[in-house]
Amino acid sequence: MRRLKALCLALAILVAADMAHAWDRRKPSNYGSVTIRNFSSRAGLAPVRFDHWLHRSFYTCRLCHVDIGFAMEANATGITADTNMKGFYCGSCHDGKRLRDGKKIFASCASNPAPGESARCDRCHSVGKNVKKEYDYVSFTEKLPKNSLGNLVEWEEAESRGLIHPIDHLPGVSMKRQPLDPQKDFAITSRSSWMPDIIFSHKKHVLWNGCEVCHPDIFPSVKKGTVKYSMLEISGGQYCGLCHDRVAFPLNNCEKCHAKPIQ
Amino acid sequence: MKMRNITIVVLTAAISLSLPFLSAGPGMSYLGGVAYAQGDWKTEFEAVCARTQEAGEMTADELKKIIDRCDRLMPRIEKLDETQKKVYRRRLQMCRELYAFMLESKETK
Repeated sequence: MRRLKALCLALAILVAADMAHAWDRRKPSNYGSVTIRNFSSRAGLAPVRFDHWLHRSFYTCRLCHVDIGFAMEANATGITADTNMKGFYCGSCHDGKRLRDGKKIFASCASNPAPGESARCDRCHSVGKNVKKEYDYVSFTEKLPKNSLGNLVEWEEAESRGLIHPIDHLPGVSMKRQPLDPQKDFAITSRSSWMPDIIFSHKKHVLWNGCEVCHPDIFPSVKKGTVKYSMLEISGGQYCGLCHDRVAFPLNNCEKCHAKPIQ
Repeated sequence: MKMRNITIVVLTAAISLSLPFLSAGPGMSYLGGVAYAQGDWKTEFEAVCARTQEAGEMTADELKKIIDRCDRLMPRIEKLDETQKKVYRRRLQMCRELYAFMLESKETK
C-alpha cells in the first residue's frame, strides 16, 4: 500500500512538472523562443535564449533562414562564437557596427571579453539568469494588435498597420532580387467533413518567407494534391507545423487556415 | 631617347590600367590576381542565387542552365575555409534545390 502511494506521488510530481514545463513554454513571452546550447556550457556560459517575437518584428523569416542561413530546427545550425565574430549567423547583424533605427546593434561575441563585458555576453547567454533585457516583451508588444494565442500578437496586422517593419535585405549579406509575383490564393480540401476547407495564401507566405524557406524542404511538391498531409503530421511538426505552433500562430487557431465559407 | 622613354612609361601605365577591365571569361578578371579570384566565387554565387524569386517564371532550359551553374560553383565553395564553406554551401544548396524543384514541377505538369 505504501509502495502504491509512493508510486502515485511520483507520478503526480512527474505530471505536474511536465504541465508546468508545458505552461511555461506556452507563456506568450516564451512562445517561439529557442534555447541554443551547442557550445555554451563548454565555454562556461549559460545557453542562449533567442526570442523570435523580437527578431521577427525587425527581420523577415527569409532574411534569417535563407540569406543568413539559420536552420529551421533549434540547435541544427551549430553557431559558434568564432562564426559570429567572423560576421556570420548572429554576427551578420550583431557586429557592433550595423545600425538599426540609427542605433548600433551590439556585437555578439568576443574572443577575450574584458572583465566588464560579461553583461554583454549575458544579453544572449541568459538562460537561467535574471537578465534585464533591452526589449521587454510586455512593453514591446503592448501597442501591437492582439489575438488570443501564441505571442498574443496579430503580426500580419501589425505589419500592415505600419507598427512593425521587418526588413528583407541586409547589405553585404543579401543580394538584390526581383520582387516576387505570387500565385493566387487556392483552396485545399479539408479531410474532415465538419471542418471548412483551407484557403492557402501564397501572397501572405512569400512576403516573409520567399520561396526557399518552404520549397522543397518543407513542401516537396508544387503539384496540388501530390503530398497528403494530416493534422496529426502537422501537429507533429511536419509541413505547416514546422512554423505554426512553434513561431507562427498556433494550430488551435483553426479558422485562420480553415477559412473557406461553407456553401 | 627621352621621347621613347616617355612613350614606354605611358604605354605601360595604359596597359596596367586597362588590365582589370580585360575579361577572361564570365565573372573572371584577367588581372584578378589572388584578391579578385578569391572573391570571384561570390560574384557567381550572388548571380545564381539572386534569381530564386523568378524561378517560377523561368523556362525548363533556363532552370537547367542555372542548376548547372550551381553545380559548377559548389566545388569552389567546398574549397573555402570551414566557416564560409558551412554558410555558403547551405545557401547554395537551397538555391539549387529550389531550381531543381521548379524544374521537376514543370516537367511533371
